[in-house]
Amino acid sequence: MSAAEPSLPLSQSAYFRQGLRAAVALPAVILAATFIGIGSVCAGYGMPLAWALLATVLIWAGPAHLILVGGLASGASWVAVGITVGLSSVRLLPMVVSLLPYLRLQNRNPVVAVICAHFVAISIWVEGLRLLPQIDAEGRVPFFLGLGTGLLASATTATAVGYFLAGIIPPAFSAALLFLTPIFFLLSLFTTARALSDRLAIGFGFFGLLAASTIGDGLELLYAGLGGGTLAYGLARLKRLREAP
Amino acid sequence: MTLFGSDPTPYIALLLVGVLPSEIWRWMALVVGRGLDETSEILVWVRAVATATLAAVVAKLAFFPGGALADLPTGWRVAAFVIGLTAYAAGRKSVLLGVLSAEAVIVGASLWLGIR
Repeated sequence: MSAAEPSLPLSQSAYFRQGLRAAVALPAVILAATFIGIGSVCAGYGMPLAWALLATVLIWAGPAHLILVGGLASGASWVAVGITVGLSSVRLLPMVVSLLPYLRLQNRNPVVAVICAHFVAISIWVEGLRLLPQIDAEGRVPFFLGLGTGLLASATTATAVGYFLAGIIPPAFSAALLFLTPIFFLLSLFTTARALSDRLAIGFGFFGLLAASTIGDGLELLYAGLGGGTLAYGLARLKRLREAP
Repeated sequence: MTLFGSDPTPYIALLLVGVLPSEIWRWMALVVGRGLDETSEILVWVRAVATATLAAVVAKLAFFPGGALADLPTGWRVAAFVIGLTAYAAGRKSVLLGVLSAEAVIVGASLWLGIR
């Protein structure tokens, strides 16, 4: 740290470093393990290393990444792959919208807003909702950029590691790596769910998907997410209105 | 393994049917979400939809999986969820404990069934 840097209030770069440090926690470890799995899946399908790394950085959404590589390898049409990827990523819209008010982007450059939005994925959403309220309003954007940079760097490194480990990882551990994302997502949802509507939404989304899958039109994520979430909100609202005097 | 490959097709596919259909929702969120405040009623609904969709993705990844996880019978995956959630609750909401317990079931069952 240079002597010219003011000690108070915290500079924007100090908030960025604080965000980077916050990235070194359990979510980064789980994220890295998940991307080791994704990297080895990419190698298994014969994709080039540069492709796997670019996909991690540019898509920045595990399920979409897996659907894309699996879809391309299966020879499915690009349109079909694109629609499935799009459906799996619709969740990013409500996730970004619900994080925005915490970021206080009003006086920021639009490019900064686009970068912040790109960083949003499950791990940073969970960590953002948990940590951002504790950060001073003017430091939230650099903090968030630091957190995102840290998580993205560890995931990209992990993709490369997984790529080289492909074929060496025993199947029992590949199964475990593929199960990491679901169990970690689910437990993370329980830790972030504060309102009754959020807790109901976990159950409706989970069991809603199993029910909607029997329809078989490929839109089950939409039915379970939009339908289940709205139902959860409606029921919680009803209960609130009844309890109000 | 290949470093870059000589065929540009996978890269074009990555941008068109991988990056674009994901990123578009983030851009739309910036337009839709402008000016919402933390306590607004719409945001409560939006968060419920985000939560339900993530829970749906969890169920999809666990019960309609690819790769080595597909070889493990569904009952074991259900057991992993139940044990993981129980450990999480018993361990005073420890995500680490929950994840490790669930993974122990997956690894144990895969080894026991001799999946390869």
